[in-house]
Amino acid sequence: MRRNSPYTLLIIFFAVSCGTSYQATTLTYEGYRIEKSAAADSSLVKMLQPYAATLNITMNKVIGFSNSNLFAKQPESGLGNFMADAIKLMAEKKFGKKVDAGFVNQGGIRSYISKGNITVGKIFELMPFDNLVVLQELKGSILQQFLDKTAADGGWPVSVGVTMGIKNKKAIQVQIGGKAIDPEATYIIANSDYVANGGSDCEMLRRIPKQDKGYLMRDALIDYVTTFTKQGIPVDYTIENRVVYVVD
Amino acid sequence: MLLINRRKFLREGAMAGTAIAAATVLPFEATAAVTRQITILHTNDVHSRLDPFPMDGSRNQGLGGVAARAALINEIRNEADQVLLLDAGDIFQGTPYFNTYKGEPEIKAMTMMGYDAATMGNHDFDSGLENFALQLQHARFPILVCNYDFTATPMESMFQPYKIFQKGELKIGVLGVGIELKGLVPDNLYGKTVYLNPIEKANQTAELLRKKGCDMVICLSHLGDKYEDDTLSDEILAKESFDLDLIIGGHTHRFFTEPRKYRNRNGGEVVVNQVGWAGIQLGRLDYNFTGFRKKSLSNAHTVVIRKKTRE
Repeated sequence: MRRNSPYTLLIIFFAVSCGTSYQATTLTYEGYRIEKSAAADSSLVKMLQPYAATLNITMNKVIGFSNSNLFAKQPESGLGNFMADAIKLMAEKKFGKKVDAGFVNQGGIRSYISKGNITVGKIFELMPFDNLVVLQELKGSILQQFLDKTAADGGWPVSVGVTMGIKNKKAIQVQIGGKAIDPEATYIIANSDYVANGGSDCEMLRRIPKQDKGYLMRDALIDYVTTFTKQGIPVDYTIENRVVYVVD
Repeated sequence: MLLINRRKFLREGAMAGTAIAAATVLPFEATAAVTRQITILHTNDVHSRLDPFPMDGSRNQGLGGVAARAALINEIRNEADQVLLLDAGDIFQGTPYFNTYKGEPEIKAMTMMGYDAATMGNHDFDSGLENFALQLQHARFPILVCNYDFTATPMESMFQPYKIFQKGELKIGVLGVGIELKGLVPDNLYGKTVYLNPIEKANQTAELLRKKGCDMVICLSHLGDKYEDDTLSDEILAKESFDLDLIIGGHTHRFFTEPRKYRNRNGGEVVVNQVGWAGIQLGRLDYNFTGFRKKSLSNAHTVVIRKKTRE
């Protein structure tokens, strides 16, 4: 019997120090699309109901009509042109001065406008951020740096009167108000405070003084749609070669 | 009696010997096919999409919505043994719900669906840290992030770097990493939050989770899957990691057609997955685990991936 005790110890040693541990060996994956036809959970529907009811009173209000489906595309899109024009033209009205160019951060366009009625809620989805319209006075050389950044991103929306090409991630043949950009001239540009504060890596704008009137980008868009409606015309935008890719 | 006992001893001794031989020659040899399962369900960048997309003729019309997602999750919970429900951040911002209610219904919905954990995305800072912390009063799940130092911010006591989930016999460690805030989130919104290197912090945290005996380490990441330049991404994190098994990603709104696999610095496999945005998709990853003797565990293990076949 005595001879067997080392074995016993060995077995006890195994039982204690070499217990079972788990390691992933196979993985099965699936991506479920959440379809409209799927069953809805009634407790979630019930939870949302009071929130939605109050919200819909404001958000379902129709403020205008779009003649076409407008989507965010690069280097240029009807949607982008509509938004950049809204920022420029509404800024001119609000600040009471001429603005040379208006811009919209491509990444800040969060939705689309489909053909048909434009509701307040649609504009909220398009521009959900509470960003303000701000004006900055800057040298043409700094404006060029900013446009180069937008070019490197694949193109951001620019307002009417601005045209540029994108080549090797740089802005080329830039025209502002029908004239070639002058590095020494001073320009007034309208942007969101997010971009003017250096957001989306626009460090070149960060230190330049900003004028703001507490005017939300979203309100500028709503006001711009309303100007069409007051004239009895629909919003009608398309691309018009404001920003183009240039190849050799 | 003595003889029988002696035979039993010899038999067990022989078996122990076989196990030693197996562990030496075949490091992956399992202990008599002991398997365990876990089902990981995940979302990212839901962006306040509580209702489905409106029926306006657009590409995503009718897709998404928390009520339909909740019903699907309940259905899966009924058939699956162990479920972990995770989110990789950007819970907030994108529909008028957020502008009006500042995230309250989003957090309530996640709590009702039984989310186990989420990490923070850049847009979760959009109404300020004070508001984010305030909305977490409606959460019965933790916010996990190990690379933001929230000292002296409203989030100081409202987050944790990781959490360990005991799922049956499996111990699953989950940690979170957030994206660089400077240049992305306005300074006044992140305030005193200090961004720390996600690779270093994720590796430290994952190592700790291994030491605590986790069978699997999951990283919830809002870094983005990959970029054209050398911006830090899930791809880079996966390759620079030691102890991560799975990265649930977000930020880049990418719909992966299948999970991606990378080799970590130990030669082991790291899986990365991401399911677009807006709650259009719910990701499901069913992991099978095999029991091994502890000493035969290898860092350089391989996971076989296949698409789930529809019944």
